[in-house]
Amino acid sequence: MADFSYIPQVLVSGLGIGCVYGLIGIGFCVIYNASGIVNFAQGAFVMLGGMLTQGLLQRYGLPLLPAALVAIAIVALLGVVLERVVVRPLWDRKATMFTMILATLAAQIVIERVTLLVGGDQPKTLPMFTDLPPIQVSGVAVSYQLLWIVGSSLLAVAALAAFFRLTRTGKAMRACAINREAAALQGIPVSRMLAAAFAISAALGAMAGILITPTQYTAFNVGVPFAISGFIAAIVGGFGRPFGAFLGGLMLGLVQSLAILGFGAGLKTVAALSVLLLFLFIRPSGLLGAAK
Amino acid sequence: MTSSLSITSPEAPRRSWLSWRVALPYGFVTAVVAYAAVAGGYPATVVSFALIYAVFVIGLNLFMGFANQVSFGQNAFAAIGGYTSAVLTATYGWEPLPAMAAGMLGAVAAACAIGYPTLRLKGHYLAMGTLAIGLIVYEITVEWQSVTQGYMGLSGIPPLGIGGYEITSDRGQLLMLAAVVAGATFLSARLRGSRIGRALSAVAGSEEAARALGIPVARYKLLAFLLSAALASLSGSLFVHVVGFVSPEVFGLHMVILTFTMLYVGGIGTIAGPVVGALIISLLPETFRGFKDYQDLAYGAALIVMLIYAPKGLSSLFSIRRRP
Repeated sequence: MADFSYIPQVLVSGLGIGCVYGLIGIGFCVIYNASGIVNFAQGAFVMLGGMLTQGLLQRYGLPLLPAALVAIAIVALLGVVLERVVVRPLWDRKATMFTMILATLAAQIVIERVTLLVGGDQPKTLPMFTDLPPIQVSGVAVSYQLLWIVGSSLLAVAALAAFFRLTRTGKAMRACAINREAAALQGIPVSRMLAAAFAISAALGAMAGILITPTQYTAFNVGVPFAISGFIAAIVGGFGRPFGAFLGGLMLGLVQSLAILGFGAGLKTVAALSVLLLFLFIRPSGLLGAAK
Repeated sequence: MTSSLSITSPEAPRRSWLSWRVALPYGFVTAVVAYAAVAGGYPATVVSFALIYAVFVIGLNLFMGFANQVSFGQNAFAAIGGYTSAVLTATYGWEPLPAMAAGMLGAVAAACAIGYPTLRLKGHYLAMGTLAIGLIVYEITVEWQSVTQGYMGLSGIPPLGIGGYEITSDRGQLLMLAAVVAGATFLSARLRGSRIGRALSAVAGSEEAARALGIPVARYKLLAFLLSAALASLSGSLFVHVVGFVSPEVFGLHMVILTFTMLYVGGIGTIAGPVVGALIISLLPETFRGFKDYQDLAYGAALIVMLIYAPKGLSSLFSIRRRP
């Protein structure tokens, strides 16, 4: 076991990565609530967020913030395309759940390969959003990037909460989550809600990818581990509860950081996956209980 | 291969065009293997790889086609088999055959330990749980550098052989693999008609109904999982002994997509489907070589199109059995 004095520092960085997992987990829940589909291509959105922003920065010389916003918009659009091209035809044919999973997983691979062909296989990174030395808080270094991650995540969660509670579309989506048939009878265009869910979910994924990239790196193949971590977050929070998923993400981030401290960085994915298996076997309804 | 034909044909209505349709996939497989055996060299290598994948897909078909279960993590067992073979022969100087047996034993033991809790899961949980198992094994092969050499991979793995005699020629390996695939196909054909196969069909149709008929559902699911893992392990071992080299990428996520594509092209739940699918998918990119980079892209796209428009696979056209 490593030095215990690192623990506060490790917990702080775990909080950052936890927010990112939480955002991805919310993405899973938004689609699941609108349709009952678990989108296994969620990781592609995360990867594309980072890769597109990097491309826009480097190739077109956009400043960071516009580049990030454009990337999020593009990825949200891609989410709708994915829904139209892959999910909708299967949905209309009443495909089995397994077929849907396999198709979205195949879509993940296709997006990965296209990114590999266009962007190359070299890992890329983004500059820190605010390039200043970290703030020292009683011996714990808090980087500005961490503040960006936590701040933007909380803002996104708050905006999402407001969207679901206050807007017509948000309320319609919640109605779909409760009962699709009844929602359709009330005149809610259920299929359009599905497209909207993919757009929101993709935007959240892209945002997560952009926020985390400056602290590590991004490459065509980072998506699947992020997707699985997001899925774990969603499970820990009780599948279908967006805010549970955010808490689940935070918990997973903390556990993973402690695991890195204990066993080394190489096994961080193994640690996350072990949390998943543990929850699946012992408490599949999550800490807060499943939504339905 | 004709021997398994005689197993399937009694259930078919005795009309000549039907048995011709049954014979067609086997004829196709025999023709391709025979051509490769005569031509030798590069065609023999391509078909050999196809046959190695066929062993894996036959195993996948037992679990997914016969028992109608879901696993995205069978590549884990191919990795266990492959790496056990590689490490025991290259590092510890074992003979290939006992190393393969050890790999298979290890894979089945792992499948038993993993399968027992995992197979109680349903739906998305089962899918993600099995996907996680594949990833855990992948990460371990990358990180356990003292044994697996990480991304560098292990080389110097001896070819298969018994005693002093080693199969080193292209043709020899091809025929050996053809024999293994024929054996595995025969096994799956026999299994299909046996008590176990009928129980699995019942489980595939409806778990509740099967349970009501007194079939121990959990035990049969686990059995199908173990058989599937054993074949995956065999395929992993064959791969490392034929190629002489192994790295984590061999058994990565792309293997999952590739083998699912093979299974769907061939026809899920059929006897000959896995072999036909493995051959078609392996031969296709060879007809337009130079597109290596686009392979996984093409497989993924083809799989999506097939799932939408031909969810039972292309060779379901040849199948006399309707899926349960």
